[in-house]
Amino acid sequence: MQDLAIHRPQTVAQAIALHRTGASRYLAGGTDLVPNLRRNIQKAQTLIDISGLAELRGIRAESQSLRIGAGVTLEALCASDAVRAHAPLLAEAAALVAGPTHRVSATVGGNLMQDTRCYFYNQGDWWRTANAFCMKCDGDTCRVAPKSERCYACYCGDLAPVLLALDAQVDIAGPTGARREPLAALFADDGMRHLKLAPGDLLVAIDVPVQAGWTAAYEKVRIRGAVDFPLAGIAVALKRDGERIAALRVACTGVNSYPGLVPGLDALVGRKPDDAFHAALDKAVRKEIQPMASILTAAGYRRRVAVSLARRLVERLYG
Amino acid sequence: MKANRSGAGARRPLIDGVEKVTGTAQYTADLPAPNALVGRIFRSPYAHAEIVLVDTAEAAALPGVVAIVTGQDCDKPYGILPISQNEFPLARERIRYRGEPVAAVAAVDAETAERALKLIRLKVVERPAYFAAADARREDAVLLHDNKRGNLEREVHNEFGDVAAGFARADLVREQTFRCAEVTHAHMEPHAALACYEPERGHLTLHSVTQVPYYVHLSLARCLDMDPSCIRVVKPFIGGGFGARTETLNFEIVCGMLARAARGTVRLDLTREETFLTHRGRPESDIRMKIGMTREGRLTACEMEMVMRGGAYGGYGIVTILYAGALLNGLYDLPAVKYDGYRVYTNTPPCGAMRGHGTVNSRFAFDALMGEMATELGLDPIEVRRRNLLKAPTETINGLRVTSYGLPEALDWVERASGWRSRYGRLPKGRGLGIACSHFVSGSAKPVHWSGEPHATVILKLDWDGGIVILTGASEIGQGSSTVMAQCVAEVLGVDWERIRVVASDSLVTPKDNGSYSSRVTYMVGNATIDAAQNLKKLLIEAAARKLKTTPEDIECLGEAYRSIAGGQTLSFNETTVEALVGTGTLTVKGNFTCPEDFQGGKHRGGAVGSTMGFSYAATVVEVSVDEVTGLVKVERAWCALDCGYAINPLSVEGQIQGAVWMGLGQAICEETRYENGLHTAANFLDYRVPTIAESPPIEVGIIESLDPNGPFGAKEASEGPLSSLPAALADAVRNATGLALRELPLTPERVAGALEAREREQRAAARKSARQPATEGAA
Repeated sequence: MQDLAIHRPQTVAQAIALHRTGASRYLAGGTDLVPNLRRNIQKAQTLIDISGLAELRGIRAESQSLRIGAGVTLEALCASDAVRAHAPLLAEAAALVAGPTHRVSATVGGNLMQDTRCYFYNQGDWWRTANAFCMKCDGDTCRVAPKSERCYACYCGDLAPVLLALDAQVDIAGPTGARREPLAALFADDGMRHLKLAPGDLLVAIDVPVQAGWTAAYEKVRIRGAVDFPLAGIAVALKRDGERIAALRVACTGVNSYPGLVPGLDALVGRKPDDAFHAALDKAVRKEIQPMASILTAAGYRRRVAVSLARRLVERLYG
Repeated sequence: MKANRSGAGARRPLIDGVEKVTGTAQYTADLPAPNALVGRIFRSPYAHAEIVLVDTAEAAALPGVVAIVTGQDCDKPYGILPISQNEFPLARERIRYRGEPVAAVAAVDAETAERALKLIRLKVVERPAYFAAADARREDAVLLHDNKRGNLEREVHNEFGDVAAGFARADLVREQTFRCAEVTHAHMEPHAALACYEPERGHLTLHSVTQVPYYVHLSLARCLDMDPSCIRVVKPFIGGGFGARTETLNFEIVCGMLARAARGTVRLDLTREETFLTHRGRPESDIRMKIGMTREGRLTACEMEMVMRGGAYGGYGIVTILYAGALLNGLYDLPAVKYDGYRVYTNTPPCGAMRGHGTVNSRFAFDALMGEMATELGLDPIEVRRRNLLKAPTETINGLRVTSYGLPEALDWVERASGWRSRYGRLPKGRGLGIACSHFVSGSAKPVHWSGEPHATVILKLDWDGGIVILTGASEIGQGSSTVMAQCVAEVLGVDWERIRVVASDSLVTPKDNGSYSSRVTYMVGNATIDAAQNLKKLLIEAAARKLKTTPEDIECLGEAYRSIAGGQTLSFNETTVEALVGTGTLTVKGNFTCPEDFQGGKHRGGAVGSTMGFSYAATVVEVSVDEVTGLVKVERAWCALDCGYAINPLSVEGQIQGAVWMGLGQAICEETRYENGLHTAANFLDYRVPTIAESPPIEVGIIESLDPNGPFGAKEASEGPLSSLPAALADAVRNATGLALRELPLTPERVAGALEAREREQRAAARKSARQPATEGAA
């Protein structure tokens, strides 16, 4: 690991002012960034430690929403009464991330903005040298799809699909000012540039609307009940109106380079979840996801199980 | 036998546990060496190549680099088995796997050493590389080792009993193929060594993570061309071994080479990735298993073909392939066995010994198929095992002696504890119970190096202070060997626990020991310790008799005192000790143990492998639930009963069994190494999936005490035996839950879901077919 300078700003404005394109990285819990720095796959000369910033802390229940500071740790998120009351699924999903010792320092913002993963990429120096590098770091070929123009590293966060299903917005501060946008707008389908952020942009908070009548669930497949990233994960939020589904959002992780909302579900709204409904849901999910061999577990399995999970969660939430 | 509070049978915390749980234990990487240089290894990016040039000139010129060594610096091959020494600490002429050490640097700090690695230029001519046993065995394959045709390190072909007749009289004969992924030990402490060379004296001291300091000592002397008397090997606290460290490993010799070249001290701490690359785990195995059974469930014959992808070098390979066949015997009454084993050289990191050495994958195939056949015959799988029990004492068809046999009681225990009779076959959909049995040797009865010495030697030292020091070369690797020895002494002498200290594994002061492998320590070193304690007791009784002016026969040892039975006078232990030292000074007594010749296996080639004085016996029941959507197997509970002869420390035995259950489950459900063109893709603890506490089921442990006639207080091994039953028990439970016989480990969600889907496809196809054909009358 190279030598690094660390800045400890007191405010978000100072943090942004300290940021230098290409040389700086924000450091919060470090559970994603530090292993990558050690492996020399993410590079920085200076780290801007944002873990002390008061503006990134705190969970506040507002009239229509829950505001969660980007610097809130996953452990605090799991334990928060406000989260358990207004968005219990978020606490449940946070409890599924990595292991307890990671959750002590890992933050909500860091989890959302974590780097994409690929077994050709998440390796040490010797390994990547022996494999002549890859497009995402130090090389020019995607080892997953060698003829590809793009990188297929996989997004594997657990909170993003849940927050997408819950229709969350994000507050971003940056050199050009502050903005609020839907979480979905933050992500792009590109393993190398999966975050649509300008240099110096800093995620400040997440705003989760509190909507009556919705139920939500998240399930991820993994081999071990702790530590592992999802091989595929599905979050579903659903509103029922009598026998019919009045509203439906389905989001996925572990199956694309970004966490995405499954499009094309409008046609399912107002229908009963019968066989035709599920066939259409299966089709919509299958169309949205494109698992690649960036994870050792076969893409075909991850595709099939993602589709099955969506169906199972809708059935469960419908009751 | 009456257990005193620290003698045999006492539930004592481990004698070295305090340091471990308080964090004061010093592991190799913790040892203070303020001026040590930092060692780093340059590893091959190539899988198979002829070395043209290793150019270290630029690296050597880097300020702060003190020494560089390459294959040129050692032309002595080493290897644990005298008959297959074909590995060099640093590759010479040929590179045979990606990650093989080629050169090493010692520098003033880590940064300089790492920079120097980047300046080393390796020129090679690449050769075709083989990452699968089948590819390496192809007729046109380039040989990894020129003297090994077909890239076969060893073929084993033997037949005991009349196999053809056995199959002929069977009512049911089934043959299936099984595959087990390569797994590795995943010990918690990464590899590390610290070498100090004293140029003025020509002495070398190596601290290392080894389970076998004696073999490391031998290899250092050989590879560094030094007289062994000039070498000292010390094993500090160790964070696990599980077989990974039962042979000399390349980094240990490299560290010594660097220290000598640098004329100083070198610390060589391997990364987790390098620890994975050093490997020596359980090979990927392809197994063809054929079993014959009568309709009553009696075994009539077994035929097994085993192909192991052994990796690039010999290591323990010959022993592994022999164990795989030999230990088909000794568990059940099996009248005929044919075995064909093939150990194949491939361009992957070398395999070696791993807990349950050689037998785990054979046992998986055997017991899984046995369970399938029981179902086919409509027999209860526990009952089938009862119909095939041995009767001790006996000798197996391949010359293994069974002197104690607690398997019947172990079966009874797991049947009762798991509620088998009321629950088997009556669980809800997606839930199942499974059973398997296993066994393992309590030490290989024939040592690797036949030197004529006893198989174990222990020294006890007693001085004026009344403290008893156990001097032993046996490697405490977390398995509790030092505690067992202390309890043996406490039992024989009856003294207070506080009097006893253990000094282990420092060649300067402790007697040679062959090391911690094949579960030999409790049995062999335990017996040697008892012998030593009895010798000491004799001296103390004589001293007490002298002092009390009576005969030794009149002296009763009360532990902390010695008493004249006739006169009633007593002497305290310390008074007795003082008397015992008169005219002779400090007492040092020795105890020995040797396995008699007639326990050392059959007379056929390789017949020594598998031979032992006592087998442990295990029965395991596993309960699982299977998620039919995701294919995830959850282990709900496990019950494991082990005949360990006698539990010298039941607390420790329970821990060993629980650990074996975890390790076995790991291999069964989630652990596997993988290679992408020979590059290890899971060389870290995220991708190499060792079960976490979240996967740990409640484990109920039953200790069966068959009191082995030759074991220390009747004890046998307690760690390796139970592991082997786990994969088969788990697969059996998954079959019970789903109706699917899954024969490829590990049973990851992907594999289980794949099998469930394949069955669904078949059922749909069958339904379509029957829909097309009008049903004939009477067809159901």
